[in-house]
Order: sequence, then C-alpha cells, then structure tokens
Amino acid sequence: MDERIKEMPEQINPRLPGGFQLPPFGIHQFLALIIVCVALWALGSVWLGLQGAQQWVGSWQENVRLHVYLPVEKRGDLKELNERLRSLDGVDSVRQISREEAAVWMQGWLGDTSLNVSKFAKQLPESLELTLADSEHEFLFSDIRDEAARFGATVNEDEVQMANAHQLLQSIRNLAWFATLIIALAMAMIVSNTLRMILLARADEVHLMRLLGAKEWFVRMPFILEGALLGGGAGILAWILLWPLVLGVSDWTDGLSIDLHPFVLLLPLLAGGAVVGCLGAVVATARLVSPDSVDQ
Amino acid sequence: MLTAGHLMVTVFPMPDKNALIEMQQLMLRYPAGKVALSGVSLAISKGSFIYLTGESGAGKSSLLRMFYGGLRPTSGQLSVQQWDMRGLSEGDVRELRQRTGIIFQDHKLLFSRTVFENVALPLRVQGWEKERLVPRVRKVLEFVGLDDRLWSYPEALSGGEQQRIAIARAMVTNPPIILADEPTGNLDEDTARHVLDLLMTLNNNGTTVIMATHDLHLLNSHPGRVIQLHQGSLVGDSHG
Repeated sequence: MDERIKEMPEQINPRLPGGFQLPPFGIHQFLALIIVCVALWALGSVWLGLQGAQQWVGSWQENVRLHVYLPVEKRGDLKELNERLRSLDGVDSVRQISREEAAVWMQGWLGDTSLNVSKFAKQLPESLELTLADSEHEFLFSDIRDEAARFGATVNEDEVQMANAHQLLQSIRNLAWFATLIIALAMAMIVSNTLRMILLARADEVHLMRLLGAKEWFVRMPFILEGALLGGGAGILAWILLWPLVLGVSDWTDGLSIDLHPFVLLLPLLAGGAVVGCLGAVVATARLVSPDSVDQ
Repeated sequence: MLTAGHLMVTVFPMPDKNALIEMQQLMLRYPAGKVALSGVSLAISKGSFIYLTGESGAGKSSLLRMFYGGLRPTSGQLSVQQWDMRGLSEGDVRELRQRTGIIFQDHKLLFSRTVFENVALPLRVQGWEKERLVPRVRKVLEFVGLDDRLWSYPEALSGGEQQRIAIARAMVTNPPIILADEPTGNLDEDTARHVLDLLMTLNNNGTTVIMATHDLHLLNSHPGRVIQLHQGSLVGDSHG
C-alpha cells in the first residue's frame, strides 16, 4: 500500500455520525440561529427595560411617602386630620412638616438663592407626610383622598402616581413572563422544525445506524446536542447584541440615574436558549421512526 | 390412535446445536393481511453458504429481514444465533444486529460521507476507539481492494466498487453471519463474480453467508446450498 495513504487518517480528522458528534452546520441551522437570536434579543431588551424601570421607581418602592396639604385657614383641623390618617390601614406613620422645614425645602427647590423665602413659606399650606407601610393595600389611596377631602385638604397626586408605578411595573413584568413563555415555545418549534428538516435529510443515516444496532441515545444525541448548541449560541449572540442597545441609550439612562446591567442576562439567555433548543430537539426526535425499527 | 377428542399440538424438534438459524412452521403475515411466508421449516448451519432464490415477492427479503429483527414472526419458531426471535427485547435486537453484517442491493452507503466514514460506522456504533478503528478499516478495505479510495466519496466509485464498500462495511466488525439481499442485482457478470469471490472468501474464513439472489448462473462458479422459495413457501433445498 502507498505509504502516503497509510498516513492519511492521522492527517484528516474523520467525522463519524452518531453519539456526541454534531451534524454538519448548514443553511437551515444558520437561519434558525438568526431567528432564535432575534427572538432572544427582543426578550432580553424587554427584561433590560424592566430592569431600568425597576431602578427608576426603586427608591419609591423602598420607602413610599405621600404628602397631604391642608389650607392655612383650616389649620385647626390639622390634629384631627393627622389622627384620622394615622388610623388608616396601610399608613405606617404621619408626620407634620414644620414651617421651618418647609422653608428650607423651598430654599433648596429655588436653587439656594439669596432670596428670603420665609415670607413665601408662611403662605404654604400645612403639610402632613405619610409613610406607607403597604402601598399595595387595596383602596389605600382612595381612603387617604376621602379623609383629606373631608377636611378640605388635598393629596399630592404626582406622588400617588409614582407610588402606583410599581403596580404597573408588576403588570408589565407579568406580561413579560407571558411573552417569554410564548416566545420560548415559538423558539422551541423553530428549532424543532429545523431539526426535523435535518432529520429528513439524514433519514438514511439514522436508518442505517439502527440497522447496525445503534442505541437510541446514540442516534438521537447529535440532534439533541445540536438543538442545545443552536439555542445556547443564539442566546450568547443575543446577549452580545444587547450591548449596542445599552450603549445607544446610555445618555438617556444616565440622565435618569439608571445603571443597566446586561451581565445578569447572560446566564438566563444562554441557559434559556439551550433549554429551549433541547426541548425543540426532543420534540423533533420524539417520533423518529425508521423502516426496520426494533419496535416494529 | 388419535380421535376427535384428542388435543392437537404442534411438536417442534429439539434444536440443532450446530445450527446458526433454525425455523419451524415459520409464518409471516403483514399488517395489511398479505402472507409473506408460510410454514417454512429449515436449519442453517454455522459456516454454510446459502443462496435464497425465488421469484420477486417469494419472501426472500422478508426472510432476511426476520434474521436481523426487522420483522417478527407471526407464528412458528425462529431462532437466530441462539436468540428466540419472537420474544426478543429491543436491546437483544440491537445486540443481534451488531453481530450481523447486512449487504443491501442498493448498498445503503452514505453519500455525504467518505469511504472511510462509511466503513467505520459499524465500529463507531460499537464504541471502537479511533486508534483501533483506523487500522481495522484500512485492513478490510485492503481485503476488498479499495484501500486506495479511503477518502473518496461513494458517488465517485463505480457500482461494483460501491458494493465492495458495502461488503467491507458488513464484515468490518467480523460478524458470524452476513446477510446479503441481492448484492449482485445491479452488477454486470464479471463484477458480480468478483463480489461473490469476496463473499466466498469470507465464508471460507468461517462466516455464514446467506444471499438472496436471482443470479442462479453464479452457482456454476460458486457452489452452495440453494433454498428455493415460492409464494412464501419452501419449495426446494439442495446443494448446487
């Protein structure tokens, strides 16, 4: 035999089907990778946006405070209003803000100008600061409004809206989970479809391996691995593509004191993609029937 | 003396210890209702060379498929390499197939894989390490005279060469039995003779060869036991 031929196997790495050997990467896999990557990128963007929104209202959620203003001419009702507000479920404490404290706040609000604000401060209504124990308490804001209205006082509605923001965020988060589930299923179907096409193309190979007595795990493993690799690869690619988005909105997020952390999404995108890819592969190979299958 | 009151039972003879394959009153009926084999009883000894002949649809291919667990008997007894084929588990079928070399008329070669990869596939299925696998593949390709085509793709080979690759793949694990379903069906006479030479050599080395064929003229140059089927029944068993 030609000596050159004898040396060939050591020079060329043979690619044998089955077991832990991945099938060749082709156009079908590339398209599926792109589609799954785009879907994961969209999901990553949604969760990154939620992360920013969470930070934006985070300080409010830590310690929710609400202000109730009583006109100066009704100052006599201040003590009773204070007690009525304190007695409401969901209100932790009520503190009266003194005129001096209000003047200091106004001075700061006006940019610490040399203007004497004590005259203006005297015109300010009496202020009660409510610390809320549970801002999610049902009807809490309505109860506060009702009590305030009874004494002719008003509630700072901007603060109510901010306190309610987390409830909105929670709803958005629930929607995001729902969208994640739906998109995960869609991705699993895309991977499954892709692998079914590959399985059809490789039906002869699968049939032959079974005729040679291959175990089922040996026949199916390449496709399961491919599904996991496809999903995981798309996850990493989607994570990398989140960075231009983060950098693109950095001016805006910096202005809102939001510090986005895409790193926390690396593992969920990678593992989630791999799990979804595996799921798609399991679905694709669930009914992998060949002629002469042992179950015939 | 039997009377109408006596229970009728089928009595099967004691198994022949030298037999690699034994069958008694073997019957195969496809789910659609067609009877492929009916009442076939015979024994095939280790080391024999068998020609399975008969017209198309006689049941040759069905019988061969039963020998590797591709089909299960509807009734009767079939024992292959000491396995009772009626109650075979999935694991047993896999083990049986690993101990059986199969050659098909259409080769069933993987055209996207090289000759080396095609021949190495059975060894890979059986978990051979690459270090052992490469010399073994080279050795069998040397046997069939195609060691210079190791890295060619099957489509670059002639029909005869492709069939020789299929023989190499069937023998690479050194199985005790080789089943060949019309391996010379698509070949010219000279090439068919060469393929049969290879199978005869394997048989002379102790491998049992069962070959379904229409080419009875090959018997002149390559004698063997001829089992003839007709419409699913055994109609002849002779040495040619």
